Amino acid sequence: MNRTITMNLSGIIFHIEEDAYDRLNKYLSTIRSYFKDSDGRDEIMNDIESRIAEMLQEKVSNTKQAVLMMDVESVIALMGRPEDFAGDNEQSQTASQSANENQQRQYNGRRRRVFRDPDEKLLGGVCSGIANYFDFDPIWLRAAFAISFFVFGSGLLVYIILWIIIPEAKTTAEKLEMRGEKVDINNIGKAVTEEFDDLKKRMKNFGDNVGSTENRERVKSSARKATEFLGDVFYNMIKVLGKIVAVFLVIIGILLMVGLLATIFGKGTISVFNAPGSNIHFSLYEFGSAVLPNDLSIQLVVISLILFLGVPLLSIIYAGIRHLFGIKQKNRIVKYTANILWLIGLVMVFYIGTVIGTDFEEQANSKQHIDIKQPANGVLYLDVNPTAEDDIELGSRYRHNRINFGDWNLISKDDNKFRIGYPELNIVASETDSFELVAIRTAHGFDKKDAVNRAKNIDYSLVQNDSTILFNSFFDINAEDKLRAQDLQLIIKVPVGKIVYLGKRTERIIFDIDNVDDALDRDMVNRRWQMTAAGLKCLDCEGLEEKEFDNDSLDRYIKKLHKMDANDVPPPPPAPPEPSEKNNKYFF
Amino acid sequence: MNIENTKAQMKKGVLEFCILSILSHGENYPSEIIEKMKEAKLIVVEGTLYPLLMRLKNDGLLSYRWEESTSGPPRKYYKLTPVGEQFLKELDTTWKELVEAVNKTTNRTSQNG
Repeated sequence: MNRTITMNLSGIIFHIEEDAYDRLNKYLSTIRSYFKDSDGRDEIMNDIESRIAEMLQEKVSNTKQAVLMMDVESVIALMGRPEDFAGDNEQSQTASQSANENQQRQYNGRRRRVFRDPDEKLLGGVCSGIANYFDFDPIWLRAAFAISFFVFGSGLLVYIILWIIIPEAKTTAEKLEMRGEKVDINNIGKAVTEEFDDLKKRMKNFGDNVGSTENRERVKSSARKATEFLGDVFYNMIKVLGKIVAVFLVIIGILLMVGLLATIFGKGTISVFNAPGSNIHFSLYEFGSAVLPNDLSIQLVVISLILFLGVPLLSIIYAGIRHLFGIKQKNRIVKYTANILWLIGLVMVFYIGTVIGTDFEEQANSKQHIDIKQPANGVLYLDVNPTAEDDIELGSRYRHNRINFGDWNLISKDDNKFRIGYPELNIVASETDSFELVAIRTAHGFDKKDAVNRAKNIDYSLVQNDSTILFNSFFDINAEDKLRAQDLQLIIKVPVGKIVYLGKRTERIIFDIDNVDDALDRDMVNRRWQMTAAGLKCLDCEGLEEKEFDNDSLDRYIKKLHKMDANDVPPPPPAPPEPSEKNNKYFF
Repeated sequence: MNIENTKAQMKKGVLEFCILSILSHGENYPSEIIEKMKEAKLIVVEGTLYPLLMRLKNDGLLSYRWEESTSGPPRKYYKLTPVGEQFLKELDTTWKELVEAVNKTTNRTSQNG
């Protein structure tokens, strides 16, 4: 016993068994999709339907009233498969067009889609599904995922995303699609080549039609076809581009995600600061603890960053994978959850930003005069105390290449102190007739008092040895003070007529000192400078004026510099401070 | 080289010619055309015919009229238009020339072979 359906085919009523109806319906819609977009599809469909009605009518009688599966099968055998029609169709222009479209549709129709494979699954069937899609043994993908689970858990994350995005192959049709026509580079290449051959053919036809100009209608319709076709080509090109973009999105998304997780959790493994003395690296975690007020937990920041940056990254990966595999199903829950989580992240980031921001609200200075001994012969030698951290960097002259945070560099950190480089050294004219040294310490805080306290806590020392002042290239701040844009400016005041000598290492701490000769920082070191009424004037700069940028003079200049080094023409660099009673160490 | 494909290609070229020839003897509706072509083993499946008829009609070579059928859906009776007749005449000439040419060529080939 079987249920029947009443069916109207070309105005004739049939009783048809359910399965037979399904078969017939599928057959007709296949034909319909074959002639899709070709002219007169409806007419052809009508003709075919009425022919089928005619044939079915011969199959039923008063004693056999229902149309059976067998009947439908025999009718279909007589009519033939759509592929056969298309094969007979390649002659004229329209036919070739529709045939081509048919092929395309056929290609699309059987195209492989990605599904999770429930039959071969280990966990969610993600690996076996993807392996099916690209035709390789899932064991490799499984191994790759297993390994990546240990890289900050990124593999686990990707796996879960894939699990959510990729639908499971539930029906037989989906399982067939899962193993459908191979999708590989060759196929894509083939599709593109076909597309361009088609383009050539159609262009030629178009040209012929225009050439003949028999009637305007025709030209018009050709023009229309040409535009439609160009639209097609662009559409396909955009589709291919879209896939490429999707691949990049996924790759970039995953890289950024790994980067984000590593920055947040990889304590000390990835540095945000290119810290000198490369043994010290700051993770975001540590940096956060250095900046955040004590009442703001670092965990809050981590969560907010994961939500605020991680959610969009995951969305990028998600969108990329969806586009790549042509997954159409929408998952509202995922979408809304992502939006809400991101909003929460946004609010948290805003809150944290405000909390930190208020702690930077006020800026304050603390100015201090340091009494220094006047040099005996009227020449003050300035240099920087060499430290182990500096030596590592001495090879590089380009300190501005380094990643700075604001004006300063974080050099090192222990439990109680941050060591920060560099103080800034400036040289100006003295109002009195003696050398003077002024230190200006700056910091931020939620009010003036807070800022002043922080500024006073800046810890700096320098050493005077007779006529030589040795600066430290760093200053320290208390860890509990947190980083609040603390800065230190040192000003040497030179009386008019007196001379300072800038040692080689001072290049690190001087910045754009005003001088009559307009010398750059690197030209100011290793030279004597005399304070005049107009400003600092160079005493050993004879070589500088002829510095024109042809190679000869540059060579001469360099040779001259070498000679100068060799002969010690400028005053000898001050001898390293000898331990003596005369040494004065200033702490402030 | 696929022999079936080549055979199909050869048949395809003459399908339109045959349809026009069948209709030159008078009005016919698709089933009758199919019958005749099946007899001659020109086509195997009926589905082939409809797109062809459609195209010939759109090119103005055929016209049709509806006729009620006592035992089924109304039928489309196709006939040649004057343009179609002209077209058929030219095809006829071409066909004869082609047959002659092919015969000559194949005979010579067989002699040589």
